[in-house]
Amino acid sequence: MAAYISITAFIFSLFIIVVFSEPKKKEETLGDRVHQLMEWNNKKSIIRMNGEKFKQYVKAAPKNYSVVVMLTALQPQRGCSVCKQANDEFQILANSWRYSQQYSNRLFFALVDYDEGSDIFQSMKLNTAPVFMHFPPKGKPKKGDTLDIHRIGFAAEQLAKWVGERTDIQIRIFRPPNYSGTVALALLFAMIGGLLYFKRNNLEFLYNKTSWGIIALAVIFAMTSGQMWNHIRGPPVMHRNPNTGQMHYIHGSSQGQFIMETYIVMLLNTAVVVGFIMLNEAQTMKGDPGKKRILSLVGLGCVTIFFSLLLSVFRSKYQGYPYSFLFK
Amino acid sequence: MADADLVVRNDIRSAMWNPGGWKSLLTFFILALAWLAGFSARLFAVIRFESIIHEFDPWFNYRATHYMVENGFYNFLNWFDDRAWYPLGRIVGGTVYPGLMVTSGSIHWFLNLLNIPVHIRDICVFLAPVFSGMTSMSVYLFTKEIWNPGAGLFAACFIAIVPGYISRSVAGSYDNEGIAIFALMFTYYLWIKAVKTGQVFWSICSALSYFYMVSAWGGYVFIINLVPLHVFVLLLMGRYSQRIYTAYTCFFIVGLILSMQIPFVGFQPIRTSEHMAAAGVFALLNAYAFLKYIQNFLTKSEFRYVFFAAVAISAAIVFVAVVGLTWAGYIAPWSGRFYSLWDTGYAKIHIPIIASVSEHQPTTWVSFFFDLHILVCAFPVGVWYCIKNVNDERVFVVLYAIFASYFAGVMVRLMLTLTPVVCVLAAIAFSKTFEVYLKDDSPKQNQKNLDENGENKNDRLYDKVGNKKKIRDEKPKDEEGLGINVKSIIVVALLMMLMLFAVHCTWVTSSAYSSPSIVLASYGQGGSRTILDDFREAYYWLRQNTDDKARVMSWWDYGYQIAGMGNRTTLVDNNTWNNSHIALVGKAMSSNESAAYEIMRMLDVNYVLVIFGGVIGYSGDDINKFLWMVRIAEGEHPRDIREVDYFTPQGEFRVDAAGSKTLLNCLMYKLSYYRFGQMQLDFRSPAGFDRTRGVEIGNKNFELTHVEEAYTTEHWLVRIYKVKDLENRSEVKTPHRPIKKSKRKPKRQTVKKAGVIRHKPKITKGKKIKTSSAKSTSRSSSKPSAK
Repeated sequence: MAAYISITAFIFSLFIIVVFSEPKKKEETLGDRVHQLMEWNNKKSIIRMNGEKFKQYVKAAPKNYSVVVMLTALQPQRGCSVCKQANDEFQILANSWRYSQQYSNRLFFALVDYDEGSDIFQSMKLNTAPVFMHFPPKGKPKKGDTLDIHRIGFAAEQLAKWVGERTDIQIRIFRPPNYSGTVALALLFAMIGGLLYFKRNNLEFLYNKTSWGIIALAVIFAMTSGQMWNHIRGPPVMHRNPNTGQMHYIHGSSQGQFIMETYIVMLLNTAVVVGFIMLNEAQTMKGDPGKKRILSLVGLGCVTIFFSLLLSVFRSKYQGYPYSFLFK
Repeated sequence: MADADLVVRNDIRSAMWNPGGWKSLLTFFILALAWLAGFSARLFAVIRFESIIHEFDPWFNYRATHYMVENGFYNFLNWFDDRAWYPLGRIVGGTVYPGLMVTSGSIHWFLNLLNIPVHIRDICVFLAPVFSGMTSMSVYLFTKEIWNPGAGLFAACFIAIVPGYISRSVAGSYDNEGIAIFALMFTYYLWIKAVKTGQVFWSICSALSYFYMVSAWGGYVFIINLVPLHVFVLLLMGRYSQRIYTAYTCFFIVGLILSMQIPFVGFQPIRTSEHMAAAGVFALLNAYAFLKYIQNFLTKSEFRYVFFAAVAISAAIVFVAVVGLTWAGYIAPWSGRFYSLWDTGYAKIHIPIIASVSEHQPTTWVSFFFDLHILVCAFPVGVWYCIKNVNDERVFVVLYAIFASYFAGVMVRLMLTLTPVVCVLAAIAFSKTFEVYLKDDSPKQNQKNLDENGENKNDRLYDKVGNKKKIRDEKPKDEEGLGINVKSIIVVALLMMLMLFAVHCTWVTSSAYSSPSIVLASYGQGGSRTILDDFREAYYWLRQNTDDKARVMSWWDYGYQIAGMGNRTTLVDNNTWNNSHIALVGKAMSSNESAAYEIMRMLDVNYVLVIFGGVIGYSGDDINKFLWMVRIAEGEHPRDIREVDYFTPQGEFRVDAAGSKTLLNCLMYKLSYYRFGQMQLDFRSPAGFDRTRGVEIGNKNFELTHVEEAYTTEHWLVRIYKVKDLENRSEVKTPHRPIKKSKRKPKRQTVKKAGVIRHKPKITKGKKIKTSSAKSTSRSSSKPSAK
């Protein structure tokens, strides 16, 4: 008896599902679809789609909304590291839209994973990922509706600009603020504060001129070797010549520099400074004159050799510079 | 007789052997030579070309100075310049640092008083080299206070020839920086003097010098932040003293009041965040002094209580006050240029016009080395010894070195503020090393010296015995010292490096920093020189051949030159205060001809001036700057101008046939390359070959509709176009238009003309008369195309 009831209930529920889902699939009106999309969008800012949904909501003819689709391969076994970064940026874009003032049902963001809808990839003849496509409300996507990743990239700001161009909807990007810098700074201060607190009975180290001197010199070396330029411009660490496979540590022109090059310059600068300090300390050092003499000569060697190295590096970068010292 | 002779001889001998006299004579000579060397090193441009004003900004300064000399100081302060920023105009008196103009104006006045007639232009040209000599004097004084006179002499020589400073002070570069570096170093010298002595006199002097600096350059902000920082760090180090209190309070109050007298600065010192540090340190210093005073009356435990309460309360009050005032808008937040120093990515995102200026770029190590050469390696040694032997004023120089090197790393332009301190510290390093290695320690000579010294100092030094003893003490040490050979090797090596430095400085000055940039020179294979004087040719043409009230549109780089040399009204110039106006010009340059014509009509433009380097291969022309115009225009008009449109699909900016259509049809392209397609420069390259970009241009044979070529200079460097007036009747272009007109015209005519048959059917042979409905559709379909 109980079994019978449960079976009928099962059949009934099946029937209900069939009855209620069947017309939804076939005769869904535009309003229904928009409603459905809005409902999904309320839960998540990016709508995940498989082949069926894609056909129904993105490709279907009458629609009054734009859809921006990212076709990607997020599964780890696909080994697409770019997709992950692109996904993060896309997420930022979609969230900025979802929580913006002008959020409406004119624009939706969708995602198709290769492993959930490989048929879409085949039907659109795509064999790369990620691809960003815009599906306008009217007509088929044109040439400009596919984002050129190689040229524009997929930073959220660039994506927003592209979306703005295609749909006339300007999205202001709100990146979730990056607290890591603040946290690191707070930690550093806390550590310094803690150190001072625990060592409060013995603050001698604060009066240690050598450590202060080293800190000051470190700042100066970092600046004079162009670390700030690296920070702002973000050059490569070094350059591999594609033809010969040779590594270049030094940028060929005076307008640019590699990160490795700035480290070399910093070392050379430091060596010259150490040489100078040796020269000066040789006189005041206690000990036999021979040692003093050696120290001062070593200092002199440091100064001259490393300075002329620096000069020759400079000469190799600055075309037409006529002077050199010790080395060519 | 003999007695008198002896006395005289004695006098001479004592004068000869008086080390003080020798020292001051030597000092005088070395400083005079440094001045002379610095002055003459800056004359390359004058000797090669002529005595002219260089570059861009100096032209405005010269124009303003000229105005001041002609019309008097008060008229200058009230000057409203209607020849700039048409149609807005510019209040020059309130938007300029007048120190430079006043300085050269008063020199002119003084020379005229002495009946020495000098043209104001020559004073303007030679002002910076003369002031560089004064800078080396003040650097000498500064270093003397910090370390010793020997280092001072080194520093004076370094600053006289170092390229980092020469770059802004060659003859003809008549700019604020030329006199501001002198004011900067002199203020610092007086400040150090005030801190050392604690006298009101010196700190008032430093405030006066600060006033001069404020009147001369916007970089005064650097002083008003560095000096409070010095005081603050001294407080932290527990080096508080009455001297510092006197020095800072006097300096701050007098300096504040004086700085507010400059119209351009006005109320900024009490209203902007840049200046708040100084006020904060002033409050802190007073609170500290007050607590010190209270301490005399209280027991230790009481004092501790009072101390914490006072600190907490005052911190809370200051914080609330600053936040509240900023929020209420009484204190302006940091200005963009200043803010971009801390957040280095700021300008690039928010203010393209700041990022576009080449001197606001970060600095590579190459330009550090290029501008400072050996000093950049040597000056950390000076920092090291200043920290090792620290005292109140050395704290200052260390702070200066650290902060200036940070700023110089962020912006190429601020290399200028780093240069003096680098010279000071490198001078300390070299002078310390030479002091060690030049000391003569061969015992025999020493003995002799000692005897002579003893003899001649006899009448001066009464503690002869002690003196002798000292030297005797030193003697055994010297024997242990380094041999004369090692010492001389080291000295010679260091001297060679310094010589290399001098050679480098001369080479850099002559090759990199001595071109006036309005007169170009090119060198042939045999070393023959050709002068390209196209800029002045064009500006002179403007001055002679155009209406006095004519408006000239160009990119903002050339605004000052057009106003200064051409004496014509400009739309935008190098004082980039109005971004949207600049963006409008950028938009006109980057739109197509008819859209640009609308903008130019709107702005009342008569002439358009573009710089084109394709013929001679001049790389600083407008096509190379063009992307910035697009970027700035895009910032204000994102709907009309898109940077992407100017690139090829591959993301390249190219002007040949593969370039983007938008680029090949924009106004800037057309104005630059008009008639260039017919020109064949040499037989190896095709017609229309652009030497700067090294390509054959993509859009060759086109005509201009709304502008016409007015003048092109000898080497095509400057091209001037006249904007045509509106035509009497606009040309009919679209074939559909007559149909539209034919429908309308009869209607109007019916009202006016009498005796015409209404709705007269048109009959064409072999066709049916069209129905009215058919006509209306054709009209409506033609409408969008006509529009």
